[in-house]
Amino acid sequence: MKLIIKNLTKSYGEKTILKDIDFTFEEGKIYGLIGRNGAGKTTFFNCLNEDIEIDSGKFILSDEYGENKLKTEDIGYVISTPTVPEFLTGKEFLTFFLEINKDKLQEEKTVDEYFDIVKISKEDQDKLLKEYSHGMKNKMQMLINFIANPKVLLLDEPLTSLDIVVQEEMKQVLKNMKKDHILIFSTHILELALDLCDEIVILNNKKLELVEKSNLNMKKYKNKIIDCLKEEENV
Amino acid sequence: MFNILKMTYKIDMTYAINSFIYSIKHFPILKDLFPDDSLYKSKKLKAVVRLLGIVLSTIRAVVYKALYFWSIYMIASWIMPENTIAGILHIYFIFTVLGIIINNKLLSTSTKKYFSIVLFNMDAKEFMKASFWSDRITNFILHSICLWFLVKSPIIFLFTIFMFLGRFLGERLNVLYYMKYKISLTYNYTIYWTALFLALGACLLPLLNIHISNEIMALIDIVMIPISIICYYGLIKIENYKLIYKRLNTKVAALNSNQGKEYSRQAMVDIKDKDKKIDERKLKGKKGYDLFNTIFFERHKEILLRSAKWFATISLVIIIAIGILMIVVPALQKNLNNFLLNNIAWFVIVMYFINRGSIITQAMFYNCDHSMLTFNFYRNPKVILNVFKTRVLTVSKVNLIPAIVIAIGLPILLYISGGTSNILDYISIPIFIIALSIFFSIHYLVIYYLFQPYDRNMKMKSITYSIISAITYIIAYSLTDFKMSTTSFSIIAIIATIAYSIIALALVYKKAPETFRIK
Repeated sequence: MKLIIKNLTKSYGEKTILKDIDFTFEEGKIYGLIGRNGAGKTTFFNCLNEDIEIDSGKFILSDEYGENKLKTEDIGYVISTPTVPEFLTGKEFLTFFLEINKDKLQEEKTVDEYFDIVKISKEDQDKLLKEYSHGMKNKMQMLINFIANPKVLLLDEPLTSLDIVVQEEMKQVLKNMKKDHILIFSTHILELALDLCDEIVILNNKKLELVEKSNLNMKKYKNKIIDCLKEEENV
Repeated sequence: MFNILKMTYKIDMTYAINSFIYSIKHFPILKDLFPDDSLYKSKKLKAVVRLLGIVLSTIRAVVYKALYFWSIYMIASWIMPENTIAGILHIYFIFTVLGIIINNKLLSTSTKKYFSIVLFNMDAKEFMKASFWSDRITNFILHSICLWFLVKSPIIFLFTIFMFLGRFLGERLNVLYYMKYKISLTYNYTIYWTALFLALGACLLPLLNIHISNEIMALIDIVMIPISIICYYGLIKIENYKLIYKRLNTKVAALNSNQGKEYSRQAMVDIKDKDKKIDERKLKGKKGYDLFNTIFFERHKEILLRSAKWFATISLVIIIAIGILMIVVPALQKNLNNFLLNNIAWFVIVMYFINRGSIITQAMFYNCDHSMLTFNFYRNPKVILNVFKTRVLTVSKVNLIPAIVIAIGLPILLYISGGTSNILDYISIPIFIIALSIFFSIHYLVIYYLFQPYDRNMKMKSITYSIISAITYIIAYSLTDFKMSTTSFSIIAIIATIAYSIIALALVYKKAPETFRIK
């Protein structure tokens, strides 16, 4: 499975954020999306997720059966500040979600088994989401996306608010998930991207650019990425 | 479709029950009785609350509808006292048409829709169908019952059937409009207000002996049947409801969430694109805090002036409309004349509502003082007073825009409605309105400077500020019942305004350097 982006252009007024982007993301990989502040990472995600209108371009999902337009249900989007139904408990939220989506789910686990994935304790399951910390809300949001199992998962700075133990657990969950999925992970933390992602893509000069690792060691690769990002200043 | 309806109902109920338990848990005294979160999983308690919830929500729905029909009855008995039933049906018809245009359910935004479609991943088209049909059927039943109470004749069904079918057309048109312009028809304010004013006008048609007859209603119903079928077919043919719902509701949900509350307040005072560039000529020759204030007001021109101009326009339209009405229906002149000469206190609440003071001080805090107050030089008493002085002048000027329209309009209306022998009224009314406008402008700024109510995170902290705001409203509201001749009331009010302003300004000069801080 491949996600093919063709000629994506997006501007706000006179300011062009993304220009004529052609890029292909492949299944089985976690892509780390890196860019300077304001480079347009969230705009790029919002375009893919159809939250905003694009000026031009196409998103195609291609697999062994052919090419199809990327549909809303093909995408999951984990945002950094999750919106959750605050007056439901974690357990109710998950139970309702499972009940509504029972026909679409591939593997059926119990509510407890699902909570185990994101390590939310029994006690916390019966708390209102309103009382969840930012990190816990984020875990709930991720869990729902894992269960919904979309072909493409966009993650916008999802781990930043989690404590280091949970970060490690989540990284493992993402790594397990990547097999049949395309994961695009945006972050400002280069170490996190290098640790978790298989490929580093930078959003530079309104374009997406894959930074080839070739046979560079980690330090040189890191410098190469920073050099690529700095290029923007010189353009 | 039924499953979706069932699930939505279940989620709504759970949500309502939990909110109720949450408020009990946070209520003084009661909160000590329920220290932990086990309440949320208690099945027995939830069953009781659910039952209570069902009863209360049914009562609420019935009361809302009853109020709606009561207002129809009141308007009808005023406009067509000799044939109230025909009046009721006429106004009901006009309100229904108005609802079809401006009260669209399908594309209205709500957090609930965001949760259902985006978070719970419900089938968006099925959700659309379920909410559409449940809304149509419940409204048909409730409207038929209420209208039956008023009219007591099967003729009402001609009208409720129209209410039932009309929405098919309304929703279809709205979706078509949305597909073309990417916003819901409801948010096109020109259409919204035009429809509203036309409808108000149409409600008054019985005064000219024109009203909808049962025969025409029957004819419209017959025409509406095929139109509704075509419209519904058009609605269910659309495939991308998920995208439509997502685009419409994501922002609303974010704004309504806990994290979004501050953001939503901030969004109200967001600097508009138009204002980001300032005409250099306006800044020429200005220095220091004068320049600082000019930049602030130029950046907020859109927020400040837009609503002031908007209120001025609405006031003008209302004044003209009332003027025309007085000329067309001379019988009403006496009422208006009487009102203007004895109930001028009403305008205290009117001026209270059209004053932009509260939003201006919010903008000042969020976009300026919030960060500036962290610098020592900005907290210097001289600077505080200097900035305050400039602000009083600018805020008063903004609020004077609608005030002048009203100040000129009221004496004209007084004259049209038969006038007064006391020539002083023609002078005291405008001065009174202008004085009120200045009063509220100063008032909001003064309480902002004396009780600066926000903390570093822009949360409202000062209870005193809230209490004073509430008292201001209560006083303004209670004056609506106050009967006194316009001359006396105006003179008293003008003196009170001047006295208040002097005292308040003196207080600010004395106290603000201490009180104007971030809480």
